[in-house]
Amino acid sequence: MTPLKIEARTEDGKTAVLSLAGEVDVANAGLVRESGLKLISDGAHNLVVDLGGTEYMDSTGLGMLVGLLKRLKESGGDVVIAAAQPRVKRLFEITGLTQVFRIYDDVAAALKEVRG
Amino acid sequence: MKTKAPDQVEIRIPRRAEFVRVARMAACALASQLDFTYDIVKDLELAVGEACANAVEHVADESADEIIVRFLIDPQQLMIEVIDQGQGFDPEAAEPGAQGEWDEGGLGLMVIRELMDELEVSCDSDSGTCVRMVKHRP
Repeated sequence: MTPLKIEARTEDGKTAVLSLAGEVDVANAGLVRESGLKLISDGAHNLVVDLGGTEYMDSTGLGMLVGLLKRLKESGGDVVIAAAQPRVKRLFEITGLTQVFRIYDDVAAALKEVRG
Repeated sequence: MKTKAPDQVEIRIPRRAEFVRVARMAACALASQLDFTYDIVKDLELAVGEACANAVEHVADESADEIIVRFLIDPQQLMIEVIDQGQGFDPEAAEPGAQGEWDEGGLGLMVIRELMDELEVSCDSDSGTCVRMVKHRP
């Protein structure tokens, strides 16, 4: 069981990267939501969620990401997923959220896409 | 001939988010002792985590302060029951799509249904909610 480590950085004025390492579950999804909302309130229009270090995620974590996506879609922004490990990626597939989120193999590809 | 009762392991955790990991760890430890593959062990961990998270998130009854996680092991299958003693919740309301296209909640039962071989959710105002799930042994 790995504690969650959250790193947030702004790539440019409109794009931010939220990196989640460890486990995202019902106990800490609220912390991730707060970090995402802080990036949005600081001006992020597009959010790349880097799941490269995410070893475990449950549906509470997915729900939190859906919440951030809904928030950004209201203003024409987006949340995209990068570098998800196979088990986490499978969770998106099981729940049909691959139809809702764009998922990229790595952060560089996701950044390139959201910057257009 | 008398049928042997399943081996039974039961843990009780406070109905709070930070204790869900304890139930997940128990599921991992127990499933690892059986003949499940690593991937199935991780599926069982996630299924137990989802059921416990449901009990934490969807049961409004504050008097339900405990979750019981019961593992019933026999040669054919592992049955897991996750029981809270609240007033129950409407399983349909806990399914995705109940409140809109992009629900933030309600994905847990969908995940469990996909990961397990059998799923049954029973609720009543006396005994609360029981999520009963089964994984057949290889």
